[in-house]
Amino acid sequence: MPCERKPMRYGHSEGHTEVCFDDSGKYIVTCGNDGDVRIWEGLDDDEPKFITVGEKAYSLALKNNKLVTASSNNTVQIHTFPDGDPDGILTRFTTNATHVTFNSSGSRVAAGSSDFMVKVVEVSDSSQQKTLRGHEAPVLSVTFDPKDDFLASASCDGSVVVWNIKEQSQLISLPLLQKTNDISNAKSLCRLAWQPVTAKLLAVPVESKVQLYERGSWDHVSTLSDDLLTQLINVVVWSPCGKFLAAGSVGGSLTVWDVNSKLCVERQKHEKGFTVCDLAWHPSGSQIAYTDTEGCLGLLDGLRTSTSNTTNTATKQAAGTKPGKDYDALFDDDDDDRVMDEGLSDTNSPVKKPVTGDDEDDDDFLMPATGRVRNRVAILDDENSLDTGSLKLGQDKFGDDDDTGSGIVPAAAPLVPLRPAYEGPMPTLPQKAFQPGSTPAHLTHRFMIWNSVGIVRDYNDDQDNAIDVEFHDTAVHHAMHLTNTLGHTVADLSQEAVLLACPGTDELASKLQCLHFSSWDTNKEWMVDLPQGEDVRALCLGQGWAAVATSALMIRIFSIGGVQKEIFSLPGNVVCMVAHGEQLLIVYHRAPGFDGEQALGVQLLQFGRRKRQLIHGEPLPLSHRSYLSWFGFTAEGTPSYVDSEGVVRMLNRSVGNTWTPVCNTRETCKSKSDHYWVVGIHENPQQLRCIPCKGSRYPPTLPRPAVAILPFKLPLCQTSTEKGQMEEQFCRSVLFSNHFSFLSSSGYEIDEDAQSQSQKNQQELLMKMFALSCKLEREFRCVELAELMTQNVVTLAIRYASRSRRMALAQRLSEIALEKANLIQEEMPEEEEEQDYSSVRRPSGSGQSEAAQGRQSSRRYQEEEEEQEEEQREEEEGQEMEMDEASETKKTSVSPPPMSQRTYLLSS
Amino acid sequence: MDASEVEFLAEKETVKIIPNFSLDKIYLIGGDLGPFNPGLPVDVPVWLALNLKQRQKCRIVPPAWMDVDKLEEMRDLERKEDTFTPVPSPYYMELTKLLLNYASDNIPKADEIRTLVKDIWDTRIAKLRLSADSFISQLEAHAKLDNLTLMEINTIRAFLLDSLNCMYKLRSNQQPGSSKGQFTDF
Repeated sequence: MPCERKPMRYGHSEGHTEVCFDDSGKYIVTCGNDGDVRIWEGLDDDEPKFITVGEKAYSLALKNNKLVTASSNNTVQIHTFPDGDPDGILTRFTTNATHVTFNSSGSRVAAGSSDFMVKVVEVSDSSQQKTLRGHEAPVLSVTFDPKDDFLASASCDGSVVVWNIKEQSQLISLPLLQKTNDISNAKSLCRLAWQPVTAKLLAVPVESKVQLYERGSWDHVSTLSDDLLTQLINVVVWSPCGKFLAAGSVGGSLTVWDVNSKLCVERQKHEKGFTVCDLAWHPSGSQIAYTDTEGCLGLLDGLRTSTSNTTNTATKQAAGTKPGKDYDALFDDDDDDRVMDEGLSDTNSPVKKPVTGDDEDDDDFLMPATGRVRNRVAILDDENSLDTGSLKLGQDKFGDDDDTGSGIVPAAAPLVPLRPAYEGPMPTLPQKAFQPGSTPAHLTHRFMIWNSVGIVRDYNDDQDNAIDVEFHDTAVHHAMHLTNTLGHTVADLSQEAVLLACPGTDELASKLQCLHFSSWDTNKEWMVDLPQGEDVRALCLGQGWAAVATSALMIRIFSIGGVQKEIFSLPGNVVCMVAHGEQLLIVYHRAPGFDGEQALGVQLLQFGRRKRQLIHGEPLPLSHRSYLSWFGFTAEGTPSYVDSEGVVRMLNRSVGNTWTPVCNTRETCKSKSDHYWVVGIHENPQQLRCIPCKGSRYPPTLPRPAVAILPFKLPLCQTSTEKGQMEEQFCRSVLFSNHFSFLSSSGYEIDEDAQSQSQKNQQELLMKMFALSCKLEREFRCVELAELMTQNVVTLAIRYASRSRRMALAQRLSEIALEKANLIQEEMPEEEEEQDYSSVRRPSGSGQSEAAQGRQSSRRYQEEEEEQEEEQREEEEGQEMEMDEASETKKTSVSPPPMSQRTYLLSS
Repeated sequence: MDASEVEFLAEKETVKIIPNFSLDKIYLIGGDLGPFNPGLPVDVPVWLALNLKQRQKCRIVPPAWMDVDKLEEMRDLERKEDTFTPVPSPYYMELTKLLLNYASDNIPKADEIRTLVKDIWDTRIAKLRLSADSFISQLEAHAKLDNLTLMEINTIRAFLLDSLNCMYKLRSNQQPGSSKGQFTDF
């Protein structure tokens, strides 16, 4: 009995959640901890109707358009369905009711309560109540005998009791369960179920098995179990035909047995393994809705247990059409970007959910889906071939049941060869292409992009479809307002232009529109049609060029004036694309990821005079089970990105283009559902610009969000200690000054003040660390630190070492100082030659030599700087030396001067 | 001291603005301001914020307390308590007036905020009058001015002092003998 597990969706807030179908099977009705009853028109209903019944709703039952709920004000109340008008209170308890249920005709309601009582009430006349007393602990569940004579209840006192309703007496009490003192402590909810139609059997979940008791004799007739089911069963329900029994367990397993053969016909697992706390069978028997303790609602579809008196051919037909329908569902993929918004909403992030529902699969990534579907077809074919063969057998076997019984036999036939459900790694839903700094496309008011230049907003309501372009710096350009007649969905903004693109439709090709506002001629706009069937997926603007990634795995490069310049193929579907100056960075899917991971690759290309690829499609590291949420360049041109776990990583060009985590934005969030929406990163000053979002991943357009600044912090060990702190500061300072050498090597001017400042900081930190290690008597570490210092600082370190009477250390340090001095000596003569060479900026020479030159010139600069400093220091040092020596001779103490003095010296 | 002077003092309070221009740090006697980066919030005194706003050089971010929910809570508390409750800012009235007059387009629900702050103000002034009344009628010598803002004190100062003077004169005339006797002692 193959079935399809639809992805879970958020139904209620966390806590016990119940579910049922209405009589027609048209609606799914749920209630949960938020006190609402929601009426879903199918699982995909995004706007379910809701009825608020109280602060919390503990249980619900629905029959004959009457909705009975147990709510937190200790009452059991009726509402009309589906209107939701209050229709009176059925009964009250001294504490909350735990479970309510209808009898088969809908004339009575039974309710069990935490005050140990069970009440049976006539729906038409709530004054006719029967109270069943005898339980010695809160009642877990109640169920009616379909013939209305008996009622069974389970309680925390460990007993399952069958009552005679008319006489209000206990017929039998079975001590089957573990004793607890309260529902909240009960390991299992022990939801009993009485076989419908024949009313022969009462199903009781006992640990990981289901025991069946026979009506009348109340003997234990059989047990349903499954080797793969090891956790406690929470809830059992009968199929409407009474031939199948479904059970949901604490560990999230969903199991269906054929009661006649006692064989397991279906095994499914809750996608996250949460406790299943309620199950409901669709009146037609083809679906099971289930809810978990986190408030999510799920659905198993395509169960074939129909009770209808279909002839064999009809069943066969159904079997025949089924795969076709599956394929329809697969290919008629709803293109409404649901995956995207799920990716950004909290509850349904694609990575936390393995690919399950076929209708969710993106048509770009059919690989895993088709694999599974093929599998399923095989099973279906098996069944079809079995159908005819097993028919006679079935008739023989079940012929005495009733004449119409043969209709259901085919469904029950292929029980024996059922394989256990596939439990290996599941492919992850690949994340959709997105524009960094944009909010999901389904929103009516959204940011199309928010970057360092400005903001592009899209208003897409019923009357109006417009785009607003606003610049942070009004000196760049004044704000623009465009009507979005083409239906643009992606945008990028730079100092020179606005780039917009819309997806293609059946008649119209996908269009790229560029508003080149910085152009000096009068024509400030150009537009390009992409070839038919090729859609724009991502785009970006560099300095003087624009790049577009399309659905045909193609990257097209245009000049900013509209000349087509380059075209090349991408190895996988694009995820996002960003540009800065002459650099273009592309992130794409390398392969399907598994178990919630995304397998992304990254390419970094450099245009300009010498086009080359800097990163050749290497894997992009992401946190576990996360997806990419922002990519961009820092203001200084270093690629960096943020994943859905809030970890910010930055390219470390000095360690072979590795990615270093520089910040975890989630650490500063107050609550679990808060996030930071990153809009930009600056290396100098070190700023992470982001928008704090309360309870969501992205901000709304109104009220206008304000940018906040977060500091960076490398996740080094022991940052609470002084040593760790200084190490973190030093590493961070080095990492964030990498861009100086990169910028100078690619021929840009650099802020030399800032560079010398950061170098001075680094040397200061080194000296502090040196002093600390000295104090801790870690001389080897001292030498290691000294190797990182510049020559001038090493001489200072020597002085410190000798002052603190560490002669061996001073000796080693002086060797290092000598080495460093020699190194400088060697470089000296070269410099002279280069002096005139460097006056001609950017000759035809290769980038490599220029890089070296840039580095040298910066080093030279630094030396000069330090020499000046050194002179100053010497003077002060001189004075201090005298003082120190004087005091030392007086006290004859051997201790080094206090640290603070030293560090003051350095920073002076 | 008149109201405009109090307002002048209030203009020294800082407020966050989002500039739409770029400018390095500016060095003023009162302290350094900036640097100004387009799109990045920066703290500046109210006088500068209003000046930039009038020239359409920035957007003002309303202070955290200038929020309908928070003000409603404050108003309800102010109405419930007999004493003065702490105010969100020592210059709440002046700031509300200044910001709402010049930058109401940057403040969501400006009208509601104006009403709420006026409500709080009215409640407090009523309390102040009431306490001034009991102060005089019970012939108290001193009163505590907890949680009163400068503007509130200022509104009642002139009136209260003058009337106390008058009362004193009247009282000393009523009992010429005793008061004269006192004065002659010194």
